Amino acid sequence: MSTSREDHLHHISQQFNSDLSKLRTNFLTMGGMVENQIVKAMEALENHDYELAEETRLKDKEVDQLEILIDEEASRIFAKRQPAASDLRLVISVLKMVSDLERIGDEAKKIAKFVFSDFDESGNLVSTPRGYVEARYIAKHVTSMVRDALDSFSRFDTQMALRVMKEDKRVDEEYKVAARSLATVMMEDPRNITSCLSIMWVLRALERIGDHACNVAEHVIYMVEGQDVRHTPMDKAEKVVRR
Amino acid sequence: MNTLSENVLSGIDYASISRKNRSRDIIFASLGIFVLFIAITTLVALFLDLAMRGAPRLADPDFYTSFPSRRPLDAGILSAWVGTIMVMVVTAVVAVPLGVAAGLYLEEYAKKNWFTDVIEINVSNLAGVPSIVYGLLALGLFVQTFGMGETVLVAGLVLALLILPIIIVSTREAIRSIPSELREAAYGLGANQWQTMSMYIIPAAKPGIITGAIVGLSRAIGETAPIITIGALSFIAFLPQSPITGDFPFISFEWLNSGFTVMPIQMFGWVSRPQADFQITAAAAGVVLIIMTLAMNALAIYIRYRARKS
Amino acid sequence: MSANEMATNRIGQPARMRAQSERPSETREHWYLEPEGTLRARVSNLKFWYGDGTQAIDDVSMPLVDKQVTALIGPSGCGKSTFLRCFNRMHDLYQGVKYSGSIKLLPEDENLIDLDPNIVRMRVGMVFQKPNPFPKSIYENVIAGLKIRGISKRGVLDEIVETSLRQAALWDEVKDRLDQPALSMSGGQQQRLCIARALAVQPEILLLDEPTSALDPIATAKIEDLINQLSGKVTVLIVTHNMQQAARISNYTSYMYLGKLIEYNETDSLFTRPMCQRTEDYITGRFG
Repeated sequence: MSTSREDHLHHISQQFNSDLSKLRTNFLTMGGMVENQIVKAMEALENHDYELAEETRLKDKEVDQLEILIDEEASRIFAKRQPAASDLRLVISVLKMVSDLERIGDEAKKIAKFVFSDFDESGNLVSTPRGYVEARYIAKHVTSMVRDALDSFSRFDTQMALRVMKEDKRVDEEYKVAARSLATVMMEDPRNITSCLSIMWVLRALERIGDHACNVAEHVIYMVEGQDVRHTPMDKAEKVVRR
Repeated sequence: MNTLSENVLSGIDYASISRKNRSRDIIFASLGIFVLFIAITTLVALFLDLAMRGAPRLADPDFYTSFPSRRPLDAGILSAWVGTIMVMVVTAVVAVPLGVAAGLYLEEYAKKNWFTDVIEINVSNLAGVPSIVYGLLALGLFVQTFGMGETVLVAGLVLALLILPIIIVSTREAIRSIPSELREAAYGLGANQWQTMSMYIIPAAKPGIITGAIVGLSRAIGETAPIITIGALSFIAFLPQSPITGDFPFISFEWLNSGFTVMPIQMFGWVSRPQADFQITAAAAGVVLIIMTLAMNALAIYIRYRARKS
Repeated sequence: MSANEMATNRIGQPARMRAQSERPSETREHWYLEPEGTLRARVSNLKFWYGDGTQAIDDVSMPLVDKQVTALIGPSGCGKSTFLRCFNRMHDLYQGVKYSGSIKLLPEDENLIDLDPNIVRMRVGMVFQKPNPFPKSIYENVIAGLKIRGISKRGVLDEIVETSLRQAALWDEVKDRLDQPALSMSGGQQQRLCIARALAVQPEILLLDEPTSALDPIATAKIEDLINQLSGKVTVLIVTHNMQQAARISNYTSYMYLGKLIEYNETDSLFTRPMCQRTEDYITGRFG
């Protein structure tokens, strides 16, 4: 039984309806926060904006709090309502996706930290602009993935979720290409190694964010279709979503 | 939102309602006690009056062991109580198996159609037929048509007919009061109808059936009209033949064909005598009859009580 | 073609389908899984009318998997208890009832509806909603079914009493007071006694009609545990109004609504991923 977004609001128990919609709202709020975090972290990195970086780091505390809150709400629903079928899948997916969102927040925090490592002890900018272009490009990519994954959740849109999963493969490719070119730069001039390594970590963090967005998309498909598409080939996942 | 109802409810004085209800309870309870008091007092007064009047004869052991006599102070109730017991035995032997079987059939086996409906209505109607009509039936059928004479057997049969509806109805009630869960449990285990009946339903309904039978018999014990109608004697100076004999086969059914009297007839006979002393004897016999009836009712209550406890 | 497949085709069931290859749909009215494993019975197009002419079961077809627990769920009045009681012909105690279709016992291929109801009840045991032990001793209760079948050898009876009470997880509680009245036990114990009584005659199918609805949560948990233990040994068909209970104890679940079977599925699938909208609405507590 695949479900649509309105299904969770038609229980005989009004309280159950509001519990579930609160869970969804909180989850989407948290999603908006981490999405914002990625954008802010990248902005801080590009502009060497200390304050913004600090702000992004502090924002993570709020995300963590929200994660705890959502976990509590979900376990309360389990204890009191014993959700079944689509409700069960909704709560389970939210529980799992929440930890993906939290990781995305952590990765954004990591990126924000590299703003500080851009400078050496004497306060000079050490990095070369090398790798930044790739990072900016991948960041844009994964940010839209996160946004799409969240949208697919709020609209119960499995087609969109499937696109997110496909995007992740491309992000992986882009990451590999960028990493290879950075390796070349490092081999050319060992003085570049420190700065290249930092940007490498940023790329790595972005790639991880893409993975987490992909996880969210997979959970959305499970939530709507009731079939687990994790660790399955793409064509099988496509079959599940096919209308 | 519901201010209107709130206002209405806030104007209520709960204490006064409660007081009013309580006083109604008290009025009703006192009325009930008053009525009950009248009933019990009447019964006790009647019984005491009889006992006091009959006291001289009740205290005399010869009263229980001698035959009726022309001299009021020698007259006893031996033939009457022996006759009563014998008639009751016949009544019980005939009415209980027939009544229980009929009740069982109607309740469990009979298909529900217009025919069983007719039978059902008739059984209820029979319970309301005046007892003297049964006497007339017995007179016409048993005494005159079959030429059976005015015997213990005929008396027992007519009383059996009289109480048959009571036993049938009480048997059906007893069976109907068995919860259907018990029945389904038995059928669910694969029991057939006979097994269900004999192993589970009848044992469970037994207290109710026995109580019904005893209540029926205690009604029969006091019946006068049908027995007079068939022509029972009020002066019998002999006992029917003993059912147990000294010779082989040690059991005799001669007593069934013997003439007899019963307690109510004996009383009736004495009451209609002119001598004042016979009134004393009649009162004493009345006390014995009441005690016999009460004893049977007590037995019924005891059986019900024991059944409820287990 | 597997044996199972042939069996299904023979009586006109759809060829076997697996949950994994089927897509759920909003528009599907009915959905039947064709289970793997041997079947104990198969119901085909069963219809049932009460004496007053009301039709309580409307064209129900479903399999009953051997030695597995199958649960029937559905809102009050959906016919699930009526359906259960067709299996031991309990309705035949009342006048004017009518069946059509078949409940075939497998592998004998005998139609329950054509057999003598008495013989059916000897083969298909039942436990009722309210514990209904006979007003006799515990021992007498367990052997009641054996007595009805004319078994009276003391040694045999003793042995069966012990094994049945053990199977019903009651032996340790009552072994020292077998001669005491069954009605002196607690409600939960009485119900387990009723299960032991039904098990004593080794029924081919055991029917349970809301067996825990009159019991408290602890007694309920004990009965559920017992049913879990029976899974794999006895073919059980249970009606329950408690969906969580069905989810906990059964291997297969049927959802019935208005006398029709809406969905028959593996319990795990039915409760996480029902195939019909109406099943979904019922188990998630939505407006029907």
